[in-house]
Amino acid sequence: MNHRSLAFRLAVWYALLLSATFALVGTGMFYGLEQYLRSGLADSLRRRSTQIEQILADAPVDVSDGAIVESIETRIAAEFNNRFVRVTRERSGLVYRSGVPADRSFNPAAIPPLGPPWPARGIARRTGSVMESATAIDTASGRYLIELGASLEPIETLQAHLLRLLGMLLPVLVACAAGGGYLLVGWALRPVDRISQSAELMSLQDVDSRLPVLPSGDALARLSISLNHMLGRLRESVQTSRRFLADASHELRTPLTVIKGELQEVVRTETMSQALHDRIGSVLEEVARLEHLVSGLLVLSRLDVGEAQREWVDVDLAELSAGTAEQMRLMAEDRGIHLVSAALRPVVVHGDRARLKQVIVNLLDNAIRFTPRGGTVTLGAVVGDAFQALEIRDTGIGIPAAALPHIFDRFYRIDEARTRADGGAGLGLSIVRSICVAHRAEIEVDSEIGRGSCFRLKFPVRP
Amino acid sequence: MRLLIVEDDRKLAEFVARGLRAESFAVDLAGDGREGEAFIDAYHYDLLILDLMLPRLSGTELLRRVRKSRPTLPVLVLTARDATDDKVAHFEAGADDYLTKPFDFAELVVRVKALLRRSPQERADVLRIANLELNRLTQQVRRDGQRIELTSKEYGVLEYLMSNPGRVFSRTMILEHVWDQSFEGVTNIVDVYVRYLRRKVDEPFPVKLIHTVRGVGYCVRDSESAAG
Repeated sequence: MNHRSLAFRLAVWYALLLSATFALVGTGMFYGLEQYLRSGLADSLRRRSTQIEQILADAPVDVSDGAIVESIETRIAAEFNNRFVRVTRERSGLVYRSGVPADRSFNPAAIPPLGPPWPARGIARRTGSVMESATAIDTASGRYLIELGASLEPIETLQAHLLRLLGMLLPVLVACAAGGGYLLVGWALRPVDRISQSAELMSLQDVDSRLPVLPSGDALARLSISLNHMLGRLRESVQTSRRFLADASHELRTPLTVIKGELQEVVRTETMSQALHDRIGSVLEEVARLEHLVSGLLVLSRLDVGEAQREWVDVDLAELSAGTAEQMRLMAEDRGIHLVSAALRPVVVHGDRARLKQVIVNLLDNAIRFTPRGGTVTLGAVVGDAFQALEIRDTGIGIPAAALPHIFDRFYRIDEARTRADGGAGLGLSIVRSICVAHRAEIEVDSEIGRGSCFRLKFPVRP
Repeated sequence: MRLLIVEDDRKLAEFVARGLRAESFAVDLAGDGREGEAFIDAYHYDLLILDLMLPRLSGTELLRRVRKSRPTLPVLVLTARDATDDKVAHFEAGADDYLTKPFDFAELVVRVKALLRRSPQERADVLRIANLELNRLTQQVRRDGQRIELTSKEYGVLEYLMSNPGRVFSRTMILEHVWDQSFEGVTNIVDVYVRYLRRKVDEPFPVKLIHTVRGVGYCVRDSESAAG
C-alpha cells in the first residue's frame, strides 16, 4: 500500500474524522443517558417520600408503630419494588425499615442511618450503590426522618452495556469507512489510471488513436478531453516537422541530380586543365556527400513515420553480420584491423533484412573507422533468457562518457576532427537507433577512452 | 529510336535529353502529365521516361492510362521516392524499370539501353580490353596470358567496369551492383577494392587500364590518352 497515495490519505482522514465524531457522540450519549435515568429515579423516590409524608402527617398523635408500618407496607411494597425505605422517629428511634429487595441488589441493614441534624428539605446522598433521598418532617406524633433509596445498579449495567456496544461498533465502523473510502477513491481514480495507461501505450505515429473520454461529464472527462486536444496539437506539430524533413530532403533530390549530372558530363566530355578538372572533382565529392546526407535524412524521416512491416521476415543476425563482415573484411585489413567474426550462435529476430543489415554496416563501419591500426573489431552473439543480443566490440579510441548520451542524436559529433575527416554525415548512429526502435530493440553502449567501445543490440526473445 | 521524357523540372529534363541525344536518341520533352498524354497519343515512341510527381495529371495516373492505350511501350520511372512500397506500387501500375533521384546519368543510359533492347542482354562470355581478358564462364582473369587471382568482390568490380569499357561508373553504381544499398555512402569500400584490384591488375604492367575520374568514379579504358 502506498502511504502517500491519495486513497490512503483519504482513508486515514475518514478514519480519524469518524473516530472523533463517534467519541464525541458516544460520550454525550453515555452521560446524557446517566443524567436522564438518575433524574427519573430521583423523581420516583421523591414521589414515594411524599406518600410516606402523607401517611405520617395523617397519623393521630398516639399512633402505634405497627399502624405506621402497615400503612407504609400496603402503600409502597418496598421489597417488591426494589426500594429501600427507612422511617426514624426522633424520640424513639427506628420505626420501619424495608427488607431485602427482590433483586437483592443491596442490604438495607448495611445502609448507615443519617445522623442529625436532619434536613428539613429533601436531600440526596449516595451510599455504595444506593441512591438515597432523605427528608425530615414534623407531625402530631413527633419528628420523623424519612429515607428512601434505590439501587443504581440497573442504570450502571445499562451504561456498561452501552459502553460495550460503542466499543464494539466503533472499530468496525471506522474500519468500514476507511476501507470503503480507500476502495472508493481507488475506484474513482481508476479512469485516471486507464487514461495514463492509454497515454503510455500511445505513439505519436498513430494519428487516429485517442485517449478514452469518460462519460462522467466531470473534471475527469474534461481532463481526458483536454489531453486529447493537447495530443492532437502535439501530433500536428510533430507531423509538420517530419513532413518538412521529408519534403525538404525530397525536394533536394531533383536539383542534386541536375548538379551531379551536369558536372559529370562536363568532366567526361570537355577538355580542360588538370586544375579545373580537380576543382570540379572536388565539387562533385561534396555533391556526393550532400547526396548521402539527403538520403540519410530521407531514411530517417521514413523511419519516423513508421515503415510497413510487410517485408519483415525471420533474420539470423549472426549469419547476416558474419556475411556483412566478410564484405567489409578487406576494408578492415586495409586499415590494419583484425576483424573477428567467429562462428556465432544464431540470433534470430523478426525484421527488415535490409534495414538490419544497414545497422550492422553502420556499426562495423564506425568500429573500423575509430580503431587504430593493429586493433581488433569483434562480432559476438549473446543469448539470454529474456533477450538475445549482437555485440560489436572494438579496441578503438573510445567515446568520452559525457558524449555517450548524445551519440545517437542527429548530427552529433564528438569532435569535429573525428567524423569530418572521413566524410561522415553524423546520421549513421541515429539511423541505427531509429531502425532499432522500429524493431523494438534496445541499443546499449559501453565505452572506455583508449580501450574501445562495445555496441550491443538487444532484441527481446519472442515467446 | 524516339524517346519521350515527361518531367516537370525543366533543367533535369533538358539535361537528360541532352545526354540521351548525345547517345543518338531522338528525344521529346513534355512538362506535365496532360502534355505527355497528348504527345503519346500523337506520336510513336519507343520508350517513355516518366517522372511521377507531375502537375495537372500525375505520373502514376498517366502510367495507368498508357498501360491501357499502349501496353507494349517500355516505361522507365524516375522517382524521388524510394520506399519499397512505392516501388512495388509502380511495378504493379506497369513500370518496366525505375530510377531513384539523384541518379547517375550513366545508370540512366544503361537502363534505357537495356529496356530498348527488349530481349535479354547479349552477354559476351569473354570480355577483352587490350591484353586484359575476363572469362565470365570460368570467372578467370588473365593479363598478357598470365593468370590473376581475384577475390569474388574484386572480380565483381572488374567485371562490372569491363562490361562497358570507357564508361565511367560512379561509386554508387558499383556499390549497388557489387554490394547492396546498405553500404551506400557509409564507407570508402569501393576505393579500397579498386586499389586492391589495381595492385593486381595494373601495377605489374606498364599500361594502366583502370582509371579514376575524380568526383565521378572509375572506368576501364584502353588508352591513357583520353582526358581524365
